[in-house]
Amino acid sequence: MEIKGFIETSLIDWDGKLVSVFFLPGCNFRCPFCHNHQLWKEPQKVETVPWQRVSGFLKGKKGWIDGVVITGGEPTVHQDLPEFIGSLREMGLLIKLDTNGANPEMLQSLIDKKLVDYVAMDLKATLDTIYSQAAGTKVNLDDIRRSIEILMTGKTDYEFRTTLVPLFHGLENVRQMGKSIKGAKKWVLQQFVPQNSETSMLKHVWPYAEEYLVKMQQEGSKWVESCILRGISEIAADQV
Amino acid sequence: MNPPDAEMIAKGQPSQDPPEAPRFLMVESAKDKQINADPLMPFNVVQKRSGEIVNFDRRKIAEAIFKAAQAVGGADHLLAEALAEQVELLLHSAKGGQHLPNVEEIQDAVEKILIERGHAKTAKAFILYRDQRSKVRRQNFNIRQVQMGEVVRDNDATDLALFIQTSEDNVAQWDREKIVKALKKEAGVAEDTAQKIAAEVEQQILDAKVKRLTSSLVRELVDAKLIEYGLEEARKRHSRLGMPLYDVEKVLTDRNRENANIPHNPEATNMTLAETINKQFALARVFSTDVADAHSRGDIHLHDLGFINRPYCSGQSLEYVKKFGLSLPNALSIAKPAKHPDTLLAHMVKMSAALQGHFAGAIGWDAVNVFFAPFLVGMSDREISQLAQMMIFEYSQQSVARGGQAIFSDLNIYWETPKHFENVPAIGPGGEYTGKKYGDYLKESQRFAWALFEVYKGGDGTGRPFFFPKPQAHITEKFFLTPGHQEYLELICSVAADKGNTYFVFDRGETAKISECCRLAFKLDDRDLMDANTPWKMRYSALQNITVNLPRIAYLAKGDTNQLYKKIDEFLHLTVKGHQQKRKFIEKLMNLKDQGPLALLAMEKDGEPYLRMGRVTFLIGMLGLNEMVQHHMGQEMHESEEAYKFGLKMIAYMHLKIKELAKEYGMKFVLEQTPAESTAFRFAKLDMQQFTKDAEKVVKGSAKDGTVYYTNSTYLNVAYQMNPIDRVKQEGKFHDMIEAGALTHIWLADSHPRASSIANFVVKSFRQTRNAQIAFSPEFTTCNSCGKVYRGLKDECPNCSRKTYEGIKRIK
Repeated sequence: MEIKGFIETSLIDWDGKLVSVFFLPGCNFRCPFCHNHQLWKEPQKVETVPWQRVSGFLKGKKGWIDGVVITGGEPTVHQDLPEFIGSLREMGLLIKLDTNGANPEMLQSLIDKKLVDYVAMDLKATLDTIYSQAAGTKVNLDDIRRSIEILMTGKTDYEFRTTLVPLFHGLENVRQMGKSIKGAKKWVLQQFVPQNSETSMLKHVWPYAEEYLVKMQQEGSKWVESCILRGISEIAADQV
Repeated sequence: MNPPDAEMIAKGQPSQDPPEAPRFLMVESAKDKQINADPLMPFNVVQKRSGEIVNFDRRKIAEAIFKAAQAVGGADHLLAEALAEQVELLLHSAKGGQHLPNVEEIQDAVEKILIERGHAKTAKAFILYRDQRSKVRRQNFNIRQVQMGEVVRDNDATDLALFIQTSEDNVAQWDREKIVKALKKEAGVAEDTAQKIAAEVEQQILDAKVKRLTSSLVRELVDAKLIEYGLEEARKRHSRLGMPLYDVEKVLTDRNRENANIPHNPEATNMTLAETINKQFALARVFSTDVADAHSRGDIHLHDLGFINRPYCSGQSLEYVKKFGLSLPNALSIAKPAKHPDTLLAHMVKMSAALQGHFAGAIGWDAVNVFFAPFLVGMSDREISQLAQMMIFEYSQQSVARGGQAIFSDLNIYWETPKHFENVPAIGPGGEYTGKKYGDYLKESQRFAWALFEVYKGGDGTGRPFFFPKPQAHITEKFFLTPGHQEYLELICSVAADKGNTYFVFDRGETAKISECCRLAFKLDDRDLMDANTPWKMRYSALQNITVNLPRIAYLAKGDTNQLYKKIDEFLHLTVKGHQQKRKFIEKLMNLKDQGPLALLAMEKDGEPYLRMGRVTFLIGMLGLNEMVQHHMGQEMHESEEAYKFGLKMIAYMHLKIKELAKEYGMKFVLEQTPAESTAFRFAKLDMQQFTKDAEKVVKGSAKDGTVYYTNSTYLNVAYQMNPIDRVKQEGKFHDMIEAGALTHIWLADSHPRASSIANFVVKSFRQTRNAQIAFSPEFTTCNSCGKVYRGLKDECPNCSRKTYEGIKRIK
């Protein structure tokens, strides 16, 4: 497995845990608001982090680093992901997986084999034609529905997350999305950062004002146990 | 006039086809096919200020134009509509339809069209209106720029301080004898020489046909003569202190341009003026020439010279105020010990203000919540929360006090009852013993601690962090045995994550400390812990702080390690000398008892002076260890294990050396991490002048804009993106040797971790490192235009899009 990005220590990628973050190349989606687009556009241009460096770091930080967050790209496009996670498991690490939910089979198998402790799944948009627009490619919605179901009925801790892009998500869409994950444990609504978008046109779109995001969070809260905002920067709104 | 509603331009019914089906968005699919995009189709949605996307409605534009026209006497609705159409065309052509216009751009387009089509008056009305609206959105706040959560004190006024004043005196009858008298009395010049000089000066004045004399001019002429006669010592004693008129005027009128943190009000300018003279006096009279010169040269830095007439900083006990009430020298009234919690708070704040006038630096209060507890029995949550709010606001808003500065204050807060106070008889209302021990008030103490941190979490009236008083949260072994500590830890960590306030003070094993001044700590020894039984005696002070310029030592040693040690010894001896001299001066003032300027510190309510001279410590700060190592070893401390270990060795040596010196001189010397960032700039600047070739290779910052600096104290290069775990561990290894307090900052930048992750890190830092204290530093940007505060450093305000750099101040 090639690791294309490595954050040694993060306090923000897994609540309550000190983790390292691995970025894996490749993705089956083409989200126009993707901010890691180099990982699927030109992965060969991103330097591979030598495994020795990664494992050396993790061994040296025993007792400090609780686990690893595996993100991408889309990690589940790699058939050898379970094997890779297995080797991390042997080092005594907890695993959080970030996924777009397009590979329910692998998700199910990872959960069954107890290879993941936490899954963060993207809910890109409402489960209709907008989904494919937001993902930038034709998405099989049944796969997404299956993945949602797997997480909501499974025993692994999880969260759903949505990046709120004004063109794709209005208040009404939040309601619709909330409905589709009704009763979920946790739903994270993330602020959209236009500057990093893959599509140049999106760079021009204003992100939602924070007061408006709060409204969306209130709507989201009607459908799930806990709906939180992430990535907002105004102090006053932080306390929400 | 009924101004056009600019927002209305964009307002409209939510579109029939809601924005979730963007009709003009061009998206590339995986197969590079376009989905649902028609670049030539005119846009039909626009983006509001809130980010919402709504239907584009040309009529709204027409309406706005019409209203602007009406304001200047226009009445042609059709024309307004035609202009609106042109606005739409302009918007469309500008970006080829691929673009989602927002309110600002629409307004820009309206302005452009109105001006281009010759409707200057209407354009003006429109612009005026738009400007009004944006003003409404902005409220002007002025936030003081604060770095790393510490207010940066200006020591750079040193440059000014070395000028000599030429102020005017009373015009009196010319009397040559007065010169003679002054020369004899002030400068110890012999009678005949004095007579000779006076006569020569008189002649000079006559020759020059001066019409109006000032005493300062006479003194200067006399001093010039003293130089001619080779009487340099006499000249020094005879010299005048002060500032050039030009500089005084600047101080009185202009805001300090180099340092916007210095408040600008009459009290603050008075302080600047007084500090200037105090500094000159200190260097001329309190310190010997070699010490003063070493300071001016930049071998060492004598901190707070402008406050030469008082000790440096202090740790205080609330018990004193509880037991003795508020009875201060020179006060017009005497208050008996407080009977109510809010009265106690008032006494505490007033005592702090009084102490601020008697110490140069911070005022730290020990175990505040523990000592308040006996007053809080039976109070409701609401009342306790109200008291906590009052306490924090009272301290943070005392910028009306000395020098127009907030009180540099610290509240030491404990979740448990600290071991050394557990069985101490509690003092309650009226200064009476309650018959219980402090351990019995754990519940009240915890409720108050909780309430204080809730206030920190909320921030001030606009949600901004409080900078003072700083909460020093002690983490001890006992902390982890005290029920409720997990929830409390989560709370104080959420304050750290949201606002950055919390200082986590690690008291491992049997260690007990009083923290203040961001990092300074008074480590309590056995004798101090005995004091704990009579806690009002727990008043500690550091008399002075002298910092050693470590990189300069390396330059002077020229790569020779033996020389390095020799130079360290030499510089440390200088600091010892400086400390002795300051002690002597303060003792002189203290000995004047209630007739002297330090009457407050000399008062003896409990059988010994408030300031216990026998117990004071003398701080020896170090600066630029990283650059010292870099020059000597060719590598910075984070670059190799060898360099890092060498750094450790240097501090270990200094630690041992000052222990020896302490024994030799009977003075309590302790190493301290120098808090004043300005010293880091001053040393670097002076070294760039005096050791250019060596310094330019190691200084940080940019020589071009003249903002060079050294890495503070024993820190590793702050710009280096170091793993926070390594930073806490590696910097922590220095901390045991830096007894007067050390701190590691964990930079959060714009990231906003959850409290639980911070708590995880804090617990591991306590358990697995020797680090003495950590704090988390988020970065904030405050817009001076609209007053909003954002996490992270921004180039433009996300709210009002102000791009001007001056408009946005950054809090690091």
